[in-house]
Amino acid sequence: MHSQKIQQLFVRYKILALLIAVALIWVFFHVKTDQAFITPNNLSNLFRQMAITGMLACGMVFIIIAGEIDLSIGSQLGLLGGVVAILTVNMGWGTWPSIGAVLVLGLMIGAFNGFVVTRMRVPSFIVGLGGMLAFRGIVLYVTGSSTIAPAPDDLIALGQGFVPPTLSRWIGGVIFLALIGITVRRRVRRGKLGLQQGSVWVDIARLVAIGVVMAGFIRMLNDANGIPIPVMILLALLAVFTYVSTQTVFGRHVYAVGGNMEATRLSGVNVGRVKLVVFAIMGLMCAFAGIITVARTGSGSPSAGTGGELDAISACFIGGTSMRGGSGTVYGALIGALVMASLDSGMQLMDVDNSWQMIIKGVILVLAVWVDVLSGSNRNG
Amino acid sequence: MSEYLFEMRDIVKEFSGVRALNGISLSVRPGECVGLCGENGAGKSTLMKVLSGVYPHGTWEGEILFDGKPLKAASVRDSEAAGIVIIHQELMLVPQLSVAENIFLGNESTKFGGVMDYDTMYAKAEALLARLKLKDVNVAAPVMNYGGGYQQLFEIAKALAKNARLLILDEPSSSLTSAETDILLSIIEDLKREGVACVYISHKLDEVARVCDTVTVIRDGKHIVTRPMAEMTTHSIITAMVGREIENLFPRVEHAIGEVIFEARHVTCWDVTNPERKRVDDISFQLRKGEILGIAGLVGAGRTELVSAIFGAYPGRSEAELLLEGKPIRVKNPEQAIKAGLSLVPEDRKRQGIVPLLGVGDNITLATLSHYARGGTIDRQAELQTVDTEIKRLRVKTASPELAIVGLSGGNQQKAVLTKMLLPNPKVLILDEPTRGVDVGSKYDIYTLMFELVGRGVSIIMVSSEMPEVLGVSDRVLVVGEGRLRGDFQNVGLTQEQVLAAAISHAAEGPAHAA
Repeated sequence: MHSQKIQQLFVRYKILALLIAVALIWVFFHVKTDQAFITPNNLSNLFRQMAITGMLACGMVFIIIAGEIDLSIGSQLGLLGGVVAILTVNMGWGTWPSIGAVLVLGLMIGAFNGFVVTRMRVPSFIVGLGGMLAFRGIVLYVTGSSTIAPAPDDLIALGQGFVPPTLSRWIGGVIFLALIGITVRRRVRRGKLGLQQGSVWVDIARLVAIGVVMAGFIRMLNDANGIPIPVMILLALLAVFTYVSTQTVFGRHVYAVGGNMEATRLSGVNVGRVKLVVFAIMGLMCAFAGIITVARTGSGSPSAGTGGELDAISACFIGGTSMRGGSGTVYGALIGALVMASLDSGMQLMDVDNSWQMIIKGVILVLAVWVDVLSGSNRNG
Repeated sequence: MSEYLFEMRDIVKEFSGVRALNGISLSVRPGECVGLCGENGAGKSTLMKVLSGVYPHGTWEGEILFDGKPLKAASVRDSEAAGIVIIHQELMLVPQLSVAENIFLGNESTKFGGVMDYDTMYAKAEALLARLKLKDVNVAAPVMNYGGGYQQLFEIAKALAKNARLLILDEPSSSLTSAETDILLSIIEDLKREGVACVYISHKLDEVARVCDTVTVIRDGKHIVTRPMAEMTTHSIITAMVGREIENLFPRVEHAIGEVIFEARHVTCWDVTNPERKRVDDISFQLRKGEILGIAGLVGAGRTELVSAIFGAYPGRSEAELLLEGKPIRVKNPEQAIKAGLSLVPEDRKRQGIVPLLGVGDNITLATLSHYARGGTIDRQAELQTVDTEIKRLRVKTASPELAIVGLSGGNQQKAVLTKMLLPNPKVLILDEPTRGVDVGSKYDIYTLMFELVGRGVSIIMVSSEMPEVLGVSDRVLVVGEGRLRGDFQNVGLTQEQVLAAAISHAAEGPAHAA
């Protein structure tokens, strides 16, 4: 009886289970590495590592919710990163114009993939597989298979720099106040409409928990030079993507298309267009990730992003996105990315052999989805 | 020794307290063909599932004798081993496998314990096809190279390969052209001469009259009559099939009917897999303002195809000229249809109506989401207000509009889907089987809503397989049969017999008209 209640709690607040999993992983590594894991510097690195997978996961979660898949994103990342390096290093473009051009190019590549999937009706799995090879081939061709360096300093600052500590505190404060405002307004509106209300205490407890986590997060990273810029960009993307998925017409249509494409089509929604936009957004995220990769390493490497699609897809599935489409959350996918990054970082600190790292990550992915299947087995559809 | 090859006695089958079959008996002699007739939902398919072992022995009451011995099939395999083979309405062939591989699927000739013995299989397949007078078939070619008529005969060959002594054919001609049907019927006549017994289930009474020696009619799960075909006429079969009074389940409200508002001309649809065959063949009709137009016909007659072509949702090739309020409208997809002022509530709620994991409210606003949005952002308050009003108005029973719709009962899901398609304020509302799988209370609510809508000047096209519903609700009834318009009746003193006769009537007679 009691265990059933706990199970229900986890099904309802899947996110809670994931956070507990992250905490357990951290504590495990902390103990195993003689207190070297949960330190400001290590966590700062961990979050920075996670930022790139996180950006890809933001786009991928929409793709999977819409009932599709994109295997080409690792190669797209490599290509777009390569282009930003060529523009800034070889062609002497300014950093910001180059970034703008690459973002537009990413959007176009994504839209092209979407066009092939929706208009030419090639299954997205195949389009991704083809793109994985073709885009990687293009990177090798345009870079002449060699690393392009050194990236200009203002670009490197984007990948290696930090947000000033005071600014982070201010941003944190503003976000916290905004969250309080949103919660209060939501309660007032729901009250007006006579809708079901959760208990006040749950809301307050949630706000307090979020506040504590945010304060802890900012304080800890400020102890190590501040919040890395890529992490700040990722957090901003999290906010934008969460807003799009929960508050916009487009977001609702993405869930509807993935949940039942036929019913959505018969409701007058242009399902092809929805999917095309989702692929375009994926391309844009690859551009973000590619730029940050170059900025972090200071160079455009032709092999950048190899295997990135697998990390992003794993992050989505660990984060509770349904394989059949129709359900999933952006923050879930990011916590999934955090799980993957924590495993990477912890095992590197422990000096685990690369072969074992891969085995363990693979097993954990399958286990996580198995647990998800078990907890969702009573659900229809 | 009994004279019958096969006897079913007093079969009773219940589904959670509801009697789907109530004491049905059916007997077949060797070499005899028995026609099994009944309206949609009379219990024919349930009976066949009992017979063929889909419902294992013990899940129903009664007795089945085969060759005079009791048959206690635990599965389809058992009944097939005894010699009972059912051929389903939808063909059950694997299109990519060869003809011979399909005929012997699950029953393959092998050598060395597992290697396919193609030479033997091809020889046997050719012998079987020769028995069916099928020449020019390459048994090594994939099944998908052959049309629906051939495929139906491959199914029969597959049954004969299993040494079928009793062949059950469920609407075997529903996907065949009339020439193909002709071949099928003559083959059944040959098989009868060879001593194979048949149960022939069909709505097409002319086919039943041609091949069957005996006819059994069932209705509402009860046995109505069994007689030699010689003593029956098409008319007496129809009377036996219908034979029930319409109870007053329909809250009919008198309403004014205005001018012609919508017109569909020359609607034609081609089959998705068999491009030779027309599913809807040049149907034209008019609809007046405030009119409820019922579309009746048998399952597979082309009614759903007709309305989905009008709504721009037919998956294959289709053609139609549409006029709304005298002006031609262009409808190539549902988006355009809704913009033009048409709405469709589809037939298959689970597959085409609901998005299961989305909330009830999210489902209701799916077709009109942009109405509640500014700059792409949804105004949740405006959305929830509409949802709230609509849920109360239609009495959708849900604890909260945010609960996933999949948890609701069929009737409440249907009300939600109906609401969704009403929110765009259509001028013409198309309902395809609006009360399928819906409880009596929700049915009443849906009918009430329909009369309220026509009172406000909305025009409704309703496809329905439930004859009492068609007659209880419609102002006018179109009858569709084999893709053609077979009748256009004002619903004044119209009887089920007239409608059914028009639906079954042969194409040559042309559309019927009643005063």
